[in-house]
Amino acid sequence: MSALKPGETTIMAVKFDNGVVVGADSRTTTGSYIANRVTDKITQIHDRIFCCRSGSAADTQAIADIVQLHTQMFAVQSEELPPVKAVASIFQGLCYQNKNQLSAGIIVAGVDNVNGPSVYNIPLGGSIHEEDFAIGGSGSSYIYGYCDKVFKAGMSKDDCVEFVKNAVSLAMTRDGSSGGVIRMAVITKDNVERIFVPGNKMPEQYLG
Amino acid sequence: MTSIGTGYDLAVSTYSPDGRLFQVEYAEKAVDNSGTAIAIRTKDGVIIAVEKIVSTVLEIPGSSRRIFPIDHHIGFGSSGWVPDIKRLIGIARDEAWEHRKSYQMPIPPKMLADRVALYIQAYTLYSSLRPFGASPMMAGMHGDEPYLYLFETSGAYYGYWGCATGKAKQLAKTEIEKLDLSNLSTRDAVKEAARIIHTVHDDSKDRLFELEMSWVCKESEGKFTRVPQDLYNEAVEYAKHSNNDDMDDDEEL
Amino acid sequence: MNQNSILKDIISDSNTGLKFDNARRNQALEAKGQIMPKATKTGTTIVGLVYKDGVVLGADTRATAGSIVADKNCAKIHYMAPNIYCCGAGTAADTEYTTNMVSSQLTLHSMNNGRESRVVTAMTLLKQYLFQYQGHVSAALVLGGVDVHGPHLYTVYPHGSTDKLPFVTMGSGSLAAMAIFESRYKPNMEREEAIQLVNDAVESGIFNDLGSGSNVDVCVITKEKVDYLRNYNKPNQRIPKIGNYKFNRGTTAIISETVKTFNKSSEADAMEVV
Repeated sequence: MSALKPGETTIMAVKFDNGVVVGADSRTTTGSYIANRVTDKITQIHDRIFCCRSGSAADTQAIADIVQLHTQMFAVQSEELPPVKAVASIFQGLCYQNKNQLSAGIIVAGVDNVNGPSVYNIPLGGSIHEEDFAIGGSGSSYIYGYCDKVFKAGMSKDDCVEFVKNAVSLAMTRDGSSGGVIRMAVITKDNVERIFVPGNKMPEQYLG
Repeated sequence: MTSIGTGYDLAVSTYSPDGRLFQVEYAEKAVDNSGTAIAIRTKDGVIIAVEKIVSTVLEIPGSSRRIFPIDHHIGFGSSGWVPDIKRLIGIARDEAWEHRKSYQMPIPPKMLADRVALYIQAYTLYSSLRPFGASPMMAGMHGDEPYLYLFETSGAYYGYWGCATGKAKQLAKTEIEKLDLSNLSTRDAVKEAARIIHTVHDDSKDRLFELEMSWVCKESEGKFTRVPQDLYNEAVEYAKHSNNDDMDDDEEL
Repeated sequence: MNQNSILKDIISDSNTGLKFDNARRNQALEAKGQIMPKATKTGTTIVGLVYKDGVVLGADTRATAGSIVADKNCAKIHYMAPNIYCCGAGTAADTEYTTNMVSSQLTLHSMNNGRESRVVTAMTLLKQYLFQYQGHVSAALVLGGVDVHGPHLYTVYPHGSTDKLPFVTMGSGSLAAMAIFESRYKPNMEREEAIQLVNDAVESGIFNDLGSGSNVDVCVITKEKVDYLRNYNKPNQRIPKIGNYKFNRGTTAIISETVKTFNKSSEADAMEVV
């Protein structure tokens, strides 16, 4: 019944010098039926903080809504942009404490005034990992090798966008539960740019 | 004490006709009875100094301090009823801990100040409660930025470059005002703080006192700690010396 | 000392966070052998689309209880607010109760702040309620309406997930209906064209899905007004039967005939009206 089964998705986030790039496919499934082929799995939590959701759509939407509320409270009370770490920590608290009833794998990425850009990965059990780049969802299994090979510390913004676009599209073609279009966001200190790659504008690759 | 006998001071929940809360003002008086506490904020840190009055030579030095660490990066200096202060210290520590637990990072001093103030204020709303007889000052760091707040018995709080409470707050404040705070180094501020406490201490009323000094600054790596012993000694020496100079001046006059 | 904030004693506890109490209680009861109630499910076709001036919602009118058609002409497009309507699939009682409850909350909310309800508000209330019950309240909804921000169309799943799309279908007939939408939907359609497409999508469900049947209900919501077109289309009208079971007069032969007359014992007085 529930849409977006445990990690039937491809999501990722990459850190670069003054920002982060997040990306995701757009497929939501109920069993073998695609309930939504243009889903936006990249959810804005605050001005400069986004999360990529994988797992149950209901669970991750509910968690994201709660974290959004907490983050806004935090931002109002501290009178500054909330740190990405604080937001990731709220996510982790909810995911860990309710781990038995939730299926949610979340990547939190964004920019703040203290630590600059950062990427946090919160996989199924509710642990938290700060990483230079993070991949998640069923599709990620197909691109670990590719990402490890291609990722270089100190890549430019455009390099990162290309990296995410290539990685997600590779995962989408090999993973049956991922597909549709690629949605991305480039988050920097003074700007958020959304990028949309339609299904017929995918990067070139071997298709048999 | 024009309020006495008017009946408007029987509970904090009652305003006087001219809009005052006498119980809150009485609490302020309680604070004014205790030893002087001062704090100075410089470019890169805050120093808290407290004159802890010792009523008997039998008291073990260093027992029952009046400066309290709250978290690694935040500390309270206090004047007023010690048990009341300790309650607020407990609240502040709980809040700081709760924040660390939820967000995995230290609480910004401003947020903690907000919460402690809210708590103090809540105790001015009910006739069954007594306002805190304490006026604590809070020193903390947020990143590289130092912060200093002083809470009033009403629950109001303000940020300061320098502040003082207790017996000799007026004298202490005028002394702090003389300092060039925007150029003062934190080490020098420690010396000045020691000097001010020694200056305002009234030997004729309270013979014995202990000088407590803690700081949070760049040199302490953003941690709220006691001032290092050598600097402490140096500061006390400086304080005694300049006080003697003052006396010489007085004699000349 | 209590590790929890003592502030909470004074300032009331915030009512946020996840709550699974009811779901866990039900699971525990079920594990102990309690038989959970099973209710009538509406195998359904419900659809919605956004067109130039607003949204069009559509639904079939068949309600089933197992393999029996319980109601041949039920209404599945529920009222939420003057500017918001909601199609329901799943357990009839759940969709009815859920939409009613949220509708009432919306009414109170809009009376409190003196503003027209927004579709996101309805959507959020629905998803939070459904999430709380972890999918045990089986209501699959298509929510549509027009508010200050323009037309909005959502699907709400029983587990509490939502999607915002220009055209949506739900229920057992959703695949048949979606096939029609996918081949013919285009942005900024005219009213008549949009209604026709919705009608055809629901019809596709009615004819190809066993759970759906009978008539087509349509609801057109624009900024100005709402047209609830109940039984917009009746593609399953019963046609007159060619044969009948009536015996012609004289089919049975009369063998004998006896007539008895009764005498009235007395003429009753007519009641007098005062």
